[in-house]
Order: sequence, then C-alpha cells, then structure tokens
Amino acid sequence: MSTVTTTNSQEDIAVRSRIDRSLRHPVMFFLTSGAAWLAVSLILGIISSAKMHAPGFLDSFGWLTYGRTQAAHLNTLIYGWGFQAAFGVIVWMMSRLSRQECRAAGTILMAGHLWNLGVTAGILGILSGYGTGMPWMEFPAFAWPVLLLSYFAIVVWSFVQFKVRPEGHVYISQWYLMAAMIWFPWLYITANLLLHVFPGSPVMANGINAWYKSGLIFMFFTPVALATAFYLTPKVIGRPIMSYSLSKLGFWSLAIIMPWAGMQKLAGAPIPYFIPYLGAAATVLFFVPAFTSAINILRTGFSDLEIVSNSPTLRFTMAGVVGLIVMAVAAAFLNLPKWTLPLTQFSMSGYGFEILALYAFFSFVMFGAIYFIVPRITGREWLSRRLIKVHFFFSIYGIVTVAFVAIFGGLMQGQGQEQFLQPSTELPEYTRPYAWATTIAWCFILFSNIFFFLHLTVMWLRLGRRSTHPTLLGSAHGHSPHGEEGDIDKIGTASAH
Amino acid sequence: MSFRTFIFSLSASFGVAWLAIIIVPYFKMRSIEPMSMGEDASGTNVVFIPKRAGRITDGAEVYAANGCYMCHTQLIRPTYAGNDLFRPDWAGLVYDDERGDTRRETNVYDFEGEKYANIGIARVGPDLSNLAVRVENIYAENESPEQWLYRFLYNPRERPARRLSTCPSFRFLFEKKKLTGNLSDEALPIATEDGMEIVPKPGARALVSYLLSLKKDQPVPVSLDFSPATEAPTAVRPAEVVPTP
Repeated sequence: MSTVTTTNSQEDIAVRSRIDRSLRHPVMFFLTSGAAWLAVSLILGIISSAKMHAPGFLDSFGWLTYGRTQAAHLNTLIYGWGFQAAFGVIVWMMSRLSRQECRAAGTILMAGHLWNLGVTAGILGILSGYGTGMPWMEFPAFAWPVLLLSYFAIVVWSFVQFKVRPEGHVYISQWYLMAAMIWFPWLYITANLLLHVFPGSPVMANGINAWYKSGLIFMFFTPVALATAFYLTPKVIGRPIMSYSLSKLGFWSLAIIMPWAGMQKLAGAPIPYFIPYLGAAATVLFFVPAFTSAINILRTGFSDLEIVSNSPTLRFTMAGVVGLIVMAVAAAFLNLPKWTLPLTQFSMSGYGFEILALYAFFSFVMFGAIYFIVPRITGREWLSRRLIKVHFFFSIYGIVTVAFVAIFGGLMQGQGQEQFLQPSTELPEYTRPYAWATTIAWCFILFSNIFFFLHLTVMWLRLGRRSTHPTLLGSAHGHSPHGEEGDIDKIGTASAH
Repeated sequence: MSFRTFIFSLSASFGVAWLAIIIVPYFKMRSIEPMSMGEDASGTNVVFIPKRAGRITDGAEVYAANGCYMCHTQLIRPTYAGNDLFRPDWAGLVYDDERGDTRRETNVYDFEGEKYANIGIARVGPDLSNLAVRVENIYAENESPEQWLYRFLYNPRERPARRLSTCPSFRFLFEKKKLTGNLSDEALPIATEDGMEIVPKPGARALVSYLLSLKKDQPVPVSLDFSPATEAPTAVRPAEVVPTP
C-alpha cells in the first residue's frame, strides 16, 4: 500500500475502537432504518412512476392515488432515508474527527425512534388524505415539531463533541458537518413557522417552500455528502486532501451563494421581480462550490487508481462525486433564465434534478460511507463482493437514466408546453416516454438495492465475515493487497483504518 | 479560522439572504392593499378586490391533499418567462363574447383567500388558472359545469377527446347510494346496478366548487394590465385562433 501518513499507533487504534463501540447502536440503527425507508421509498416511486404512463394502475384506492404516493415517495426518500443516513454519518464522523466517544448513545437512539415515529405518522397522514400540499413538506402539521425535537436530540451531542475536541487542525469535514447542522434547523423552522403558524402572503409562502426544497438539497444533503467524501477519500487512499485552501474556498462559496437559490421555480409569479432570477443565478453558480470540491476530492482519490477500483467505499464515493459534477452541470443548464428556465420550470426536470441530487450524489456517497462504517462498528466484514458490485452497477444504470430524463426529457416536455398552438390535451404525450424511462430507472435502482438490503441485514445480524481483511472488489479473497488473510483472533497484527 | 469567526460568517452569509428574500418580502406582502380601478359610469371610485365564489378553503385542502399541484399549475407567466399568455384559453379567453380578448397574467390578488398558492410543480396536464372559464364556456355543452367536472374526476378518460389524459381517477371521492325515487341532482350518468346511483361525497363537492372558482380573467386596474393596446372586439370570431377543447 502507499505510504500512510496517519500515525497508526496501538493507542490510536484503541481510541478509534472505543469510539466505534460507543456509538454502534445508534449508528447501526440509523443506517438500517434508513435503508428500510429507502426500500419503502423505491416501491412508492415505482408505483407513482407507473401511474404516469398507466393511470389505471392501482387506481381504485384513494390512498394509492398518484398525488399521495408521489408525495409519500419523496418524503420517505428525504426524511426516512436521507436524514437517517445523514444522522448515522454525522454522529459517527464527528465522534471520530473530534476523537470523542459518544456518551449519549441511548438518547440518540431514542431520538432516532422518535424520528421514525414522526416520519411514519407523517406518511400515514399523507396516504390517508391529510397532506398539506406543500412539496417536500406534505407531512401534516403535527409532524414537524416532533421531527425538529428529535433532530436536536440527535445532533446536539455532535456540537458538544466538536467544542471539546483536542487542540489542532480542524478538518474540512467538521466545518461542513457543523454548517449542515446549523443550516437545516434554520431552514426547517423558517419554512414551517411561516407556512403553518404565521399567516402571510400565499404566493410568497409558495416561494418559501421552493427555497426550503433548494435549501435541503444544497445546504443539508450537499454539505453532509461533501463532509463524508472529504473524510473517506484521504482515509482510504492514505494521503491528505490535495488542497486544504481549495476546500475552504469550496465551503465558503457554498455558504455564500446557495442561500439565495430556490425561487427560480416561481419565475413569472407575482412576487418581486428580482427574487426568482437571483434564485436562478445562485443555482447556476452552484458549479463554483461543486467543481471546487469535486476536483479536490477526485484528484486525491484518483491519485491511486488501484485503490479506487478495489475499495467499495471509494468506488461509491468517487461515483457520488462524479454525480455531483453532473448535478452541477444540470443545475446550470436547466436554470438559464432566457433559454432553458421557461422550458424546465414546470417539467419533469425538477423531479429529475432532485433525484440526481438525492441519489446520484448524496446516496452514492452515503453508500460509500455505509460500506466503510458498518464493518468498523459491527466488527465483521462484508460477505460478498458480488453483492456490492451488483448494487453499484445497477444503481449506476438507474441513475444515468434519471439524469437523461432530467436533462433531456424536461427540455422536451417544456418545448411541448411552449407550443401554444397545440391543444393542451396533447400535453401528457410529451411526458409519457420520460415517464417510462423513469419507471425503468427506479426498477433498476430497486433491484440494485435489494442486494444492498440483503447484505446490510446480514451484517446487522452479525453474520458478516470474521476476518482481518476488508472485502475488496477487485481481488479474490486469496490475493488481497493486505497479504495473507488472517484469522480474527490475530487482529492485533493487522493494520487498522 | 476560529469557531467564533465560523459562526459569525455562517450566520451572516445565510442571514442576509434569509432576510432579503424570505422574511422581508413575506411580511411586506402580508396584506396587499386593494387597488383602484378608476371611476365607473356613475362616477364612483371602483376598487379591484377579486372575489371568488365557492368553497375555496375546503376545496383547496382536497386539491392539495390529493396532489393535484404535482401535475397542474395555476400560474400564467408574463411573456418574458413563458408562452402561457399565447394559448387561446389558459389565461382567459381569446374571444369572450362580451369583452373580446380577456387573457391576462396572474397577479398577486389571484390567490387571496387561500393559505398557500397552489402554483404547482409541473405541467403534465394543463394550467388550471382559468379552468372554470373553460368548463363553462367550452367544455360543458349539454350539462352543467359541475356535472362535467364530476364526470371528469370520476373517469378522466371517459370522453374521446381526453383518452390520452393521465389524470388519476378520483372515483374514491364518490359513493354508490341507494336510489330513493328519482336520481339526485348530482348523480352521475354512469351505469350501475339497479337501484343504485353514484353521487359525489363531500370531498368531491368541495373540490368541484373550488375548481369552479378558478377564473382569473376579470378586468384589472390599468397598472396591472399588461395587455397590448387593441381595438374594440370584432363582431365575428377570428378564424385562426379558435379555443380548442
């Protein structure tokens, strides 16, 4: 292996091991519970997508009508899978980076169950016809205080850990995690107070909702995924990030530009004229923080191609960062005010872009983190590299299809809408081929994740491989770059990460 | 960078945007003052306060809970943002019998009475700002507008002109009731078993009442009127631009 720059003294290994043991229950809970919600979300996504081209599918029941299943699909994806994966990763990474054991594992676990309760009640609310009609905030109004309380109970400990960290270098991941933990409640409280509690302008309320959606993507999921990628890449490669100052530039450009984004979805609405176009400009400028961070991470990661092709963690993480680049290109291309925004404003490209952000970038990096973290907190290695490979490749097939639908399909759909001499009864026809593509994409993604859920369940049941060597993708078990495969009883002689 | 610098810079970078595009516009737009329409024939100052007739609150809740905003919008954008105004029947009517071209862009008064403007996410189906105008003037030929909408919601693909529609069937908003004497007023003309009729449940009634309040083509004050100057409407319906169903 290449030269390792971190000190791997026995003391270090002992500290890491104690940290991992202290938080194995809450972190494992978040990762498995999140994966279960991902399964629910994928099934709902397939049902919704099928209804777009076959509207008679399952249409006898009110609780399965398209409007409710699509809302449930997105809300389970975001609050079920997205947030819980983020919580698992935040709790684990902040502990490791601040070199603090988790002393509130029980509280975090209880808060996680409370979060689950909130999401479940919210989803049942949506499906039974009590959705609020506000995109990404469709949970009935009782849910948000429950989720907010549970959120604070989960992340406040990470704040504390950061404050009592040992003297020295602050990792860029820590800045990203701190920022995400502050931005989300600011976004969430603002949106929920203004839309549910304090009456105001109905049109601006819609705008605030659009700002909240954009804020979740760019100011919660993006920083959490970047923090994860900035952590995992140097860890697995064994070299530090290429440029710390470039990473700070990436962070501050994200912090300054992205709070303005979101309201381009209200271009032409009766609100102050500058607001939507400022939103479009900010979204287009997302490429600045995105490319800055992506170049930094990819240069570091691809400095050793052999490791990238062997390590499941790095393969998923690098793919996720490539997803970030695609997402940034899409953000720029789909929101140009004169050329593409009028076409994409009310088309499928909105949904496609959100899935690019949530799956192509965020989820891939989360998968990379899960493949890294779970062996460390369960003390077992992944059982089968073939399961990992299927998970990887079929997710890639699915998400590439979604990217295509978002970028190309949305434009075609918008073109059709702008053909004002065509009767509007023709409008569904513009959507239909892309609806088919989306259903197929979700089927690929569900297929890939069935293998992931199987694998994760096996690890959760502590049936993973007992071995000193991590499961790698390229090599068969007998030819690991770590040398001769050892027995778990000889773990003292292995090198730890 | 120190923790204090970090927190301060983070708060400033987020806070400025938060104030500028969220807090200040939201609260300033809370109560829009009515605008003057000038004087009417008798010299009284007329004010523009669009009144919407119908069950807006209940109906909007049914609309929102069933996800209609996912496929339908309610926003007619000015021409710099899209081609919505050019359609013959989305923004009003290109040829209204009394007033000629009544098309106009959405203005801020159009959503008064609703808590959350259902501007919508995508246009899988048509924009609904002026749905009631279309239903009353174009679609509902031999039946009441309510009947037309009930039939559409029960089975969107019933009529041949709409066989391509991907609107979900909302028949769960209707119920089968035992006939007592004649058919009730709102019974749908759909074949069922003997002695039963299909009538809308309260949710469907509220929704249809809301949908029939969607008319955004009334005259607006001069300062909100961005239509190009035109001559008086001609007596004959122009041949090329006929409102299409």
